[in-house]
Amino acid sequence: MEARTTFTNLLAAEWMKIVRRPMALLLLGIFLTLTALQQTLWFLIVALQEGTFSGGNVTFGLLSTAAIEQIKRQLSLPGVFGAMLSAINGTGGILAVILTAGIFGSDFNWGTLRILLTRAPNRGAYLSAKLVALQLALLSAMVITLIVGIVLALLFSGLLGLPQRLGIVDLLLLPIGMVRALLVMLPYTLIAAASAIVGRSVIAGVGGGLIFLAFDVSAGSLNTIGAVNPLIRALVNLLLQPNINRLIIENSRMFGLDQSVLTSALDLNLLPSQWQAIIVIIVYSAIFGYSAYRTLNRQDIGGAG
Amino acid sequence: MNAIETIELTKRYGKRIAVDQLNLTVGTGEVFGFLGPNGAGKTTTIAMLLGLVKPTKGRALVLGYDVQREPALALRRVGAMIEAPAFYPYLSGADNLRVLARAGGIPLERVQRVLETVELSERARDKVSTYSQGMKQRLAIAAALLPDPELIMLDEPTNGLDPAGTVEIRNLIRELAASGRTILLCSHLLHEVEQLCQRVAIMKDGKLIASGDVATLLRRGQGVRVRVQGDPGPAVSLLRTLTWVGSVMVQGETIFVNAPADRAGEINALLIKADIIVAEIGASNSSLEEFFLTVTKAEV
Repeated sequence: MEARTTFTNLLAAEWMKIVRRPMALLLLGIFLTLTALQQTLWFLIVALQEGTFSGGNVTFGLLSTAAIEQIKRQLSLPGVFGAMLSAINGTGGILAVILTAGIFGSDFNWGTLRILLTRAPNRGAYLSAKLVALQLALLSAMVITLIVGIVLALLFSGLLGLPQRLGIVDLLLLPIGMVRALLVMLPYTLIAAASAIVGRSVIAGVGGGLIFLAFDVSAGSLNTIGAVNPLIRALVNLLLQPNINRLIIENSRMFGLDQSVLTSALDLNLLPSQWQAIIVIIVYSAIFGYSAYRTLNRQDIGGAG
Repeated sequence: MNAIETIELTKRYGKRIAVDQLNLTVGTGEVFGFLGPNGAGKTTTIAMLLGLVKPTKGRALVLGYDVQREPALALRRVGAMIEAPAFYPYLSGADNLRVLARAGGIPLERVQRVLETVELSERARDKVSTYSQGMKQRLAIAAALLPDPELIMLDEPTNGLDPAGTVEIRNLIRELAASGRTILLCSHLLHEVEQLCQRVAIMKDGKLIASGDVATLLRRGQGVRVRVQGDPGPAVSLLRTLTWVGSVMVQGETIFVNAPADRAGEINALLIKADIIVAEIGASNSSLEEFFLTVTKAEV
């Protein structure tokens, strides 16, 4: 009971810190701008290809018909859900790593950790509250992104004359997609948190998170080479990236998109199953989360180190 | 029950011993001075008392609870200001306190109260990044007062304050002490400690080298003050050979001799006999500062 109260108190404190943090608002602003630019680019591609601006008199053959159809789906309901969730797991993931490093590392940089731990000495509760507050902030950012994405999609699809189809099933599937998107970001945010705690700074968190991300993406891309030995493929599929790709693709598929149309290197048959993907991501998250907890719990905060 | 009790408290960082088998007691309601030169181990000791640093050996009891085993119970009624003031620069002073109040399950009404106590209400809505060092110092004291503490640990509370601010904080500490709270005060301003504290402990190189009642220690620290013409070296060497002299130290042109004040005449005679011209000699009314310097600098 007391542990739960401590956690709730800390969660309220962490939430207040995140939502007031200029860095969080700045990162959200950057992400929304990039997403809006991406949607505008899609709109321009379709408009130029189909001659929307010239009443059909001047058209450009920019992409294949299949690719244009795919982009149209990304600009209409419910496809925009999949497109937005995909963007959240792409650029959004990198920004989430930076935010996580900022949130965990700045308590060391500013020295605020020693004051907080004096008030609430349970380090496990401190870490959990911070992580839960972070996930809630990411979820809120996701909702804002979806709203902005839908508004722009309605605007652009209206200009292009695209049909909209939104069923109750799509709305029911949306929370599943959001949870999947959060799960995809979880291991990367946890490695950033662990790095910030080990290095006791924001820069260590950003460095650790992004270096791991770069390594994982590079190693995971071996999966896209068709002629790889099955054993090596099985090993590569134990890395995060192929498993994460599987969940991102599942999210897109759920809303009628087919990412392989726009990303030719993506062979869906080579990716691990969805269940393997979920298990692998959870195992990585558990390892990174435990490392963060163990390090924090054994650390001396302050004093003459 | 003692407010603070340490039993053989030890902290090692590799081969270096930061705190060495420290046995310290601070009684309830006491204003206790915790002194020592930089690197003596004071901050590490306070960090161990607050559960921030894990002892290598020994125990620390705060308000009757073992800090390592029951940190939440031990620290529930403890307020602390340790090292430099630390706050979230993008939040206002009041919001920083609200974060701490929320984290510690302290009613939010306390925030306004403590801001008034440290006279920061007018700037409470301004961001901490715009605060002067003195204001940050006062905000740190406000943070220490948030849980309505029985025990307050203040590490250099007047750092960065102007003389008026120093007097304000000194008065505030007096008020807190008068309300029956226990205060552990670390300060380099020994005059301040002498004025505020009933008992002190002095650490050096991680070890407790002196502790006790301020008045008793000052009596122990009384001695003879000598000024000689020319180089004080020969006089110091001569005085150090005397078995009844505790310690000899030089501060500026003055030699402080830790010896009974009534033996000043004998010291004078010995120096003259050794062809050393004595310019001035007399009993030294030892201040805490002189006592501190004597015990922490046994050699010149």
